[in-house]
Amino acid sequence: MTVNGPQIERSQEDEDVCRLMQQEEWEVLQSIYPECSSADISKGSIKLEIPIELGGTREVEIVDDGTLSSSAERLEDAGPSCKIVSQGLAPISLSLSTLPPLLLDIVLPSSYPLHSAPILLHLHATHSWLSRTALLLLKQKLIAMWAEGEGILYEWVEWFKSGNFLEAINSTEDSIVCLPHPSPIRLAKLLASHDALSAQEVFSHMSHPCAICMTSLKGSKCIRLACSHVFCRPCLEEYWGMAIREGGIGQVRCPDPECVKEGIEANEEEVRRVVSEDEVKRWKRLREKRDLDRDPTIIHCPLDFCQTPVPKPKTITDDDSSGWNRLRTCHECSYSFCAYCRRTWHGPHTSCAIPFTASFIIDYLAHEPGSSERLLIESRYGKNNVKKLVLQYEEDKANREYLERETTTCPTCEVKVQKSHGCNHMTCARCKTHFCYRCGTKLNPSHPYGHFSTPGLSCYSKLFDHESVEDEWQPIEGFEDL
Amino acid sequence: MDARLRRVNKEIADCKNDRSSKIQLELVDDSPFHLNGSFPGPEGTPYEGGHFEVDIRIPESYPFQPLKMKFITKVYHPNVSSASGAICLDILKDAWSPVLTLKSTLISLQSLLCSPEPNDPQDAEVAKHYMTSRSSFESTARYWTHIYAGGPDPNAKDGGKGKDGQRDEVAIAGLEKAHVNQFEALGFERGKVIDVLRRLNYRGVNVTKITEDRVVEELLKP
Repeated sequence: MTVNGPQIERSQEDEDVCRLMQQEEWEVLQSIYPECSSADISKGSIKLEIPIELGGTREVEIVDDGTLSSSAERLEDAGPSCKIVSQGLAPISLSLSTLPPLLLDIVLPSSYPLHSAPILLHLHATHSWLSRTALLLLKQKLIAMWAEGEGILYEWVEWFKSGNFLEAINSTEDSIVCLPHPSPIRLAKLLASHDALSAQEVFSHMSHPCAICMTSLKGSKCIRLACSHVFCRPCLEEYWGMAIREGGIGQVRCPDPECVKEGIEANEEEVRRVVSEDEVKRWKRLREKRDLDRDPTIIHCPLDFCQTPVPKPKTITDDDSSGWNRLRTCHECSYSFCAYCRRTWHGPHTSCAIPFTASFIIDYLAHEPGSSERLLIESRYGKNNVKKLVLQYEEDKANREYLERETTTCPTCEVKVQKSHGCNHMTCARCKTHFCYRCGTKLNPSHPYGHFSTPGLSCYSKLFDHESVEDEWQPIEGFEDL
Repeated sequence: MDARLRRVNKEIADCKNDRSSKIQLELVDDSPFHLNGSFPGPEGTPYEGGHFEVDIRIPESYPFQPLKMKFITKVYHPNVSSASGAICLDILKDAWSPVLTLKSTLISLQSLLCSPEPNDPQDAEVAKHYMTSRSSFESTARYWTHIYAGGPDPNAKDGGKGKDGQRDEVAIAGLEKAHVNQFEALGFERGKVIDVLRRLNYRGVNVTKITEDRVVEELLKP
């Protein structure tokens, strides 16, 4: 106890110090970059929206990353460098002085900055202008920048704001910024219009009246929605946050009466700019559920930058069980994908690379026959299809259970091996690896029996599957009569 | 000061300064979140000349949740309950938006009086009346405006001054005196006749459609 006492005290003291340091860092950040910061430090989470100013114009080259043009490549597989992405359209070059803001969701642990780094909940580029790989790389870099005992937020903001971070994701030596994207034409349009907007206006320095709280606030505290209506952040945060908490996601839209009349809801990016990461998740889940209730066949386009709801084509009937009824084509970005695995269309005859089907079949089987949940899944994927998949799933499951129960996997080539008789020292027929049939570990080929003869090992004296060594030598019936 | 209170105070002040809209707001008690709003009935409608009062409650999470409003003044209108004053208006429900204000919502109520939505009624009987005979509906609405909202007496020019102060139950129910008298003469109580004929929507073309036997059958029900 005497040892523990002061330790606890010290960590408590540390936490107090950390809290003060965080507070101070936040205040400094807000005074230097009022336009970047939002949210409340007392809640422990921080939202930064960092506009990128390149300091003069720079060449930006957008290349096709091949996701849409070639079905073989996946977005995740394409690296951030330009080398991989030679297929598809010619790159589009732009001269830009700004890039759309990056959104950072950060949680400050109670031991930051003395003992732990900030936790990066989410890093997102507006209009998805950075690829997922690039974002991952940036996340790693951000964490690596932190040194024990030092506040890092200022440096992070500076690193992004100045555009210096681009060097980290650019593999080329020259100053051209290379951005791989599934749809270069689309992105180019978005980047150009963003650049034009930020060049001609000083949004953040002007004050804007907010029609909700009826006060005028500086642009840095406001947000301009896609429909160009401006509201202050705290108001939108509260409005949308409340709607999401209470399940009224129809309210997550621009509050302007014109937009309300049009019935246009906020898009994912707008929601992300306003509410917390958890709320974004809940909003997405609720929206998905509502869309399902409305039209069970709707699937949102799987591309991050698109997300358009795609209904089942009218040409597909319920009894169609050919592979073609899995095909969906987004009418917005014309991405063709498989309705089951939501990956790039892989043809009617190839089964999905990842058994996504299992998840909805399990869901299907969990509900009563004839229940509304079952009907929903049937109408979404086709009744006959679901029937076929259930059969297939049950067969697969039985196979898997059988293999689990009756076979051992070779530790090298992973072939399933079934023992018909003999001892537990196995030699793989395919790759010649020596292994133990009981526990699946690799054995030393020159001394395989040591595994069974060394006292203390779990398979000691278990070369044969009998209770004890004595059982090995039971007399064979009738033997003595001979 | 919390944001709700600040906004409500601002709204009340704005309303006071704006005399052109003729919308009035008054505190009911000490709370700024319980108000009494009023506006004149729109011109060119049966509500013209009346003064309509609305009970307004400002919810905890205003302006993110809609205002709660109901008519204190009795109104004869398809979208207003003739009994409770409850209002059926989209902006008080799903179509609410936090940029709407006390004033703009009261103006919307005022324009609801100009353009009833009988297909989405709050009061089904009134809506049926509206659909069956527009002229009969309008004269009933006008009569209600006169007796409840202080509007002009629609019968004044006919020299009906004599009955002043006496409320005409038949006119309130939107029925014809002759019809009520006809069934009362059969020996039924007047109040009951009015009630049944109102429920059966015994107006306009329905008078020829609904047989006398049908009415008597209803009247005989306990």
